[in-house]
Amino acid sequence: MICGIDLGSRSVKLVLADSDGSIKEKHIFSTVDFYREYGRVDEEGLRIDFAKLGIEGIEAVASTGYGRNTLDVVGSMVIPELKAHVLGVVEQTGLTDFTLIDLGGQDSKVIKVRKGRMVDFATNDKCAASTGRYLENMAAVLNISMEELSKHSKDPVELNSTCAIFGESELIGRIVEGHSTAVLAAGVNASIVKRIKPMVRPLLSDTLVLTGGVALGEAMKVLLQEAFGRDVIVPCEPQLNGAIGCIRAVRMKQEKGK
Amino acid sequence: MGRIGITTTVPSEVIFAAGHTPVDLNNIFIGDEQPMRFLEQAEEVGYPRNICGWIKGLYSVAVEAGDLDAVVAVTQGDCSNTHALMETLELAGIKTIPFAYPFDRDYDLLKMQIEKLMAALGTNWDEVKRVQERMRPIRRKLAEIDRMTWQDNVISGWNNHLYQVCSSDFNGDMDAFEAWVDELIEKSADAPERTDSIRLAYIGVPPIYTDLYSYLEKRGARVVFNEVQRQFAMPSDAEDLVEQYRAYTYPYRVFDRLDDIKAELERRNIDGVIHYVQSFCYRQIEDMIFREKLDLPILTVEGDKPGKLDARTKLRLDSFLEMLE
Repeated sequence: MICGIDLGSRSVKLVLADSDGSIKEKHIFSTVDFYREYGRVDEEGLRIDFAKLGIEGIEAVASTGYGRNTLDVVGSMVIPELKAHVLGVVEQTGLTDFTLIDLGGQDSKVIKVRKGRMVDFATNDKCAASTGRYLENMAAVLNISMEELSKHSKDPVELNSTCAIFGESELIGRIVEGHSTAVLAAGVNASIVKRIKPMVRPLLSDTLVLTGGVALGEAMKVLLQEAFGRDVIVPCEPQLNGAIGCIRAVRMKQEKGK
Repeated sequence: MGRIGITTTVPSEVIFAAGHTPVDLNNIFIGDEQPMRFLEQAEEVGYPRNICGWIKGLYSVAVEAGDLDAVVAVTQGDCSNTHALMETLELAGIKTIPFAYPFDRDYDLLKMQIEKLMAALGTNWDEVKRVQERMRPIRRKLAEIDRMTWQDNVISGWNNHLYQVCSSDFNGDMDAFEAWVDELIEKSADAPERTDSIRLAYIGVPPIYTDLYSYLEKRGARVVFNEVQRQFAMPSDAEDLVEQYRAYTYPYRVFDRLDDIKAELERRNIDGVIHYVQSFCYRQIEDMIFREKLDLPILTVEGDKPGKLDARTKLRLDSFLEMLE
């Protein structure tokens, strides 16, 4: 079995696959719970308690994610985060020329890929307004679930604040004006698209791929399609994409070694 | 003999000629063991959070030093925040002397600025020219350090940065500085050639991060061109001091900088460019010009507070190097 781990800022994604890459198990943990329950830090880095996770027979582990700059997973192959995401898309879709938009817990990444290789990228820096954490805050203000929030893309209300904190008070102002939850939710989703547009524009391809937790639900896909006038592909497992990329990296290395 | 603070590179020939010691406040700020405290001090007296970290650092360094006879502040060609820096330094009882690089590199205007500085500090052209000639061999040695970095590949990106960046004030002592430079050249002459897999250019103001160069080198990439630092060392070798400061690209139009950058990228066989920008700096806008005009892959790195690279910037650097491999 090969284990791919994506140590995200909000959740840890763990995927187990056969040597041929077919997925056998998938797990998503809250980051805090994962480190508390299954992780232990010693001099060498982060040691994962696979026995406690109930996972046996692991031949190779590869890890990626925000966490890996502070902690290396002991005994694992470390994959740079953007590379893991590119490999994940290649594995899941078979595409080789595309622009990937990955919207995660604190990250937004845009990666231009040609012939299966990253040729340019942009990531958010210094501000996490266009990310999942922003959506979580806004869903809480609207008193709806993330699942509900991610359904709405029609007639978005205008939201201008680029700050995830001040955005809340702007949204409350809109609620007071009497707008429906549906158009308020659409407004929240549209504000993310507005925010990442300048990052995507210089890196545009004919094909857009959307991954990350924010890709769950239809709204973001629809809004991106409208914004850029082209199809947006969401792979089967958008949230597990990085972990799946890790598995592909291990398999590529094994192939090379043969 | 007094100590004269400077906010960025100014004709230090004039300061030395007047018998004073130039003190680049930037180097004291970033060279401190805990540079963050200078930012905190400035914010405590009322500097806004969303203002460039360097300006806050310069303010607190000047105030804390307590022994500066004046601060020469560059009011044009560097940063308009310097205007308020001067005003708040005055408020703190520190004398300031303005110096302006004319945007269009006008010879007469620049000459007048240099002469104004001469008058303010009390010196004349003969003395200034004598100092210029004293500096010339040191500046040539700095150019040699630069050449040994990219051509002989025996000097690290960090040393290339450090020695050139310190030429803004020659660490206050030209003789000691020259000995320091000689030592590096001598030590490096027999050093083994470096075989880095990736050759990088660093453009923009010097970084507020303290470990950028070593981080890159640990990953097999080396900076072999430090744009602004090299400009601080005045590579033009011009006879005329006014021409020397006209050839200095940093304070003028970005397109003049571009010509210099393009020529050096070509000559030094560069794989990728790191464009460093400071948070809240107008030079962030110029990033789009570099992206449009340079044909190499560019990573824009934004720094805010002094200290080590943050996890996010590391992640971005890793990805950039991965892409260049």
